Amino acid sequence: MVQSLIHIPDEILSSILRDSPPQTCAALEQTHSRFRNVTNEPLLWRYYCESHYRFWDRQHDMSHKLKCPVSSVDWKTLFVSKYQVDCSVTRLLGSILASQTGRIEKFRSVIDLGYDAKDTLLRHSLVASGDDHLARRWATDSVIAVPEWAKLRRGEPVSLDRALGCFDLFIPESGYGDLNDIRGSLARILDRFVADNLDLHLTPRQKALAIASWLGSNGLTGIDPEREYHHLEHNFLGLALKNIEHNSLPLISAAIYCFVAQGVGLNAHPCGFPFHVHVIVTPAAGFDMDGRPLSNMDQAQPMYLDPFRGARETSVSDLRNQLSFLGMSNSDQSAALGESLTSSIVLRCGKNILNSVRIASQSPNLYSTSVDAVSARYAALWSVMLLSSDSRPMDLRHQLPWLMELFATDFPSDVFLIEQYIAPLFHGLFEHEHILESLHVMRAVDEIPKQIHTRTGTNANIRYTVGQVFRHRRYQYMAIITGWDSECGAGEQWMMRMGIDRLQAGRHQSFYHVLVEDRSVRYVAEENIEPIKPSLAELPRGLTAIAGKHFKRWDEMRKVFISNVKDEYPDD
Amino acid sequence: MSTGTITLTSSDEVDITLDRAVAERSVLIKNMLEDLGDSGEAIPIPNVNEAVLKKVIAWCEQHKNDPASANDDDDNRRKTTDIDEWDQKFMQVDQEMLFEIILAANYLDIKALLDVGCKTVANMIKGKSPEEIRKTFNIQNDFTPEEEDQIRRENEWAEDR
Repeated sequence: MVQSLIHIPDEILSSILRDSPPQTCAALEQTHSRFRNVTNEPLLWRYYCESHYRFWDRQHDMSHKLKCPVSSVDWKTLFVSKYQVDCSVTRLLGSILASQTGRIEKFRSVIDLGYDAKDTLLRHSLVASGDDHLARRWATDSVIAVPEWAKLRRGEPVSLDRALGCFDLFIPESGYGDLNDIRGSLARILDRFVADNLDLHLTPRQKALAIASWLGSNGLTGIDPEREYHHLEHNFLGLALKNIEHNSLPLISAAIYCFVAQGVGLNAHPCGFPFHVHVIVTPAAGFDMDGRPLSNMDQAQPMYLDPFRGARETSVSDLRNQLSFLGMSNSDQSAALGESLTSSIVLRCGKNILNSVRIASQSPNLYSTSVDAVSARYAALWSVMLLSSDSRPMDLRHQLPWLMELFATDFPSDVFLIEQYIAPLFHGLFEHEHILESLHVMRAVDEIPKQIHTRTGTNANIRYTVGQVFRHRRYQYMAIITGWDSECGAGEQWMMRMGIDRLQAGRHQSFYHVLVEDRSVRYVAEENIEPIKPSLAELPRGLTAIAGKHFKRWDEMRKVFISNVKDEYPDD
Repeated sequence: MSTGTITLTSSDEVDITLDRAVAERSVLIKNMLEDLGDSGEAIPIPNVNEAVLKKVIAWCEQHKNDPASANDDDDNRRKTTDIDEWDQKFMQVDQEMLFEIILAANYLDIKALLDVGCKTVANMIKGKSPEEIRKTFNIQNDFTPEEEDQIRRENEWAEDR
């Protein structure tokens, strides 16, 4: 008998199908009735679901489905619906890249697809040669994080790990797509602690110290002394849990500590001590920290720890002395020594991030960080806006322009979030109108088709093209060409001020819109352009970080950026 | 590692002598030798003919020094559909031989070879339409037009790109 695919037993076919894309499985099913069973195996489709997609919208309740008997779930239908979302998102991304017009509404459609869109966004953001900037920006989950913080603002309960995890959602590098992932990492640490400390019969005080000591000796808290304290990465709970070195600031170390401590029944919370977040552990009602019953007269004394530094109890008198040294009144001292609200911890984390970003920008060479400072700053500004208490509107006023600028330049897809969560904060103030006006302008501009610049007629002689990298002959900076005019298109005043007519070729030469390595945008005469062909590694970081606004990716062969403004410059 | 040689008898009654270490790439043979001891007698392989058996042994020769995969975990194994160059050449045989090798690998319990076989077939069907798959593997369509139409509609999603 001639062996053919038809004669292969199901178990082997099943293996072959696992090595094949699901579309192939669908095609095989249509060839012969012999394949109907094996191509519809729930186990196979569950495998496709799990291996192709990581992020599932809450409506699917995946963790529950995965625990059910495999045949009780229609895995194939589930896969197909997810696949269709995937295709829609891919189409939307393609159409967003193809035209600069109507992007906001297309964003909206992506957002409406919810969490199921995330796998697609991530995939498009990780193309090999340089990131697809646009997709990458959307892969950030401000859409999930912002409503979570808004809950905190309204006084609704949000657990500390979720509230801090929101910062990670803004950072594509952290790779967390789900607050439950962060909770999962913490739960595994708790399990490990419990497994290592099974038979301990300890008083609450001993237990509290045992946790700090265990976390410290497993390297899960604190910062390696070799490392720079203010490193941006140290501010993110998810990153701290994920990185092998687990470096984290006191605030994050305290959050990790509290999760484990609460998991073993201790009443542990971060305490908002100035400059350095501690942990406060309060004994169960009617007992002291050593597990002894209290008489009516005694008041239970909490204990303080600093998990960032290690397993030692911090004495209250030390803490009070430090506060007195700072000139704090008694009532302020009690507040500083009490439990912190989750919202104040988040706010503090936001401020720490702004601080880290500021320090990093002052000494860029000291800090090579994998975290995108722009995303981090954006996250921090959101937290500050949403969680600064209403009694200090000046704080908000001061931060608003920064947030609005960053939003407009780098995260325009968040126009809906700004409308829903930021505008109302300024109700009754003049900023309110101002915000609505800028959103209105953004939408209007978004709907206007771009003027088309073809290379015909007078434009035929323009020498350089969109995407080329050059060095300015006079000022030496590196920049990318993003657009051009056949002659100087700026106003008379500008030309006077810049002394355009003193140039060799004057105003009647081609002029280029360029994106400079310091993130500024300039307008340069052709005679000042000295084209260069650097490798990707030689491009300044500042340039690659912002290039995505105009370019799909870097072409290492031709040493140019590939335009995504084809609607405006179809011939470039 | 075991030393010495053993003899296998193919389904068409041909004796083939080979290093025991090479033969032990087959978990079936390895277990047999461990359970029964090496009596020196030829081991019958009733499901595999000489041509196929020689081919399988050639593969085992080539891979005799591969580290035993500690975990045949699906996750690890399936990360890639890449096949190394030697194996690719090795699998350039007619379809009948390919399926014979796969069945033999399955019977003899040689996971890595079975895996290469499955991946080879997967690469052959990848990206093909139902009609192209039928052509490639000489499959006769046994659906009624109604059935065919229904199944096509069920799988329309896969053409959506």
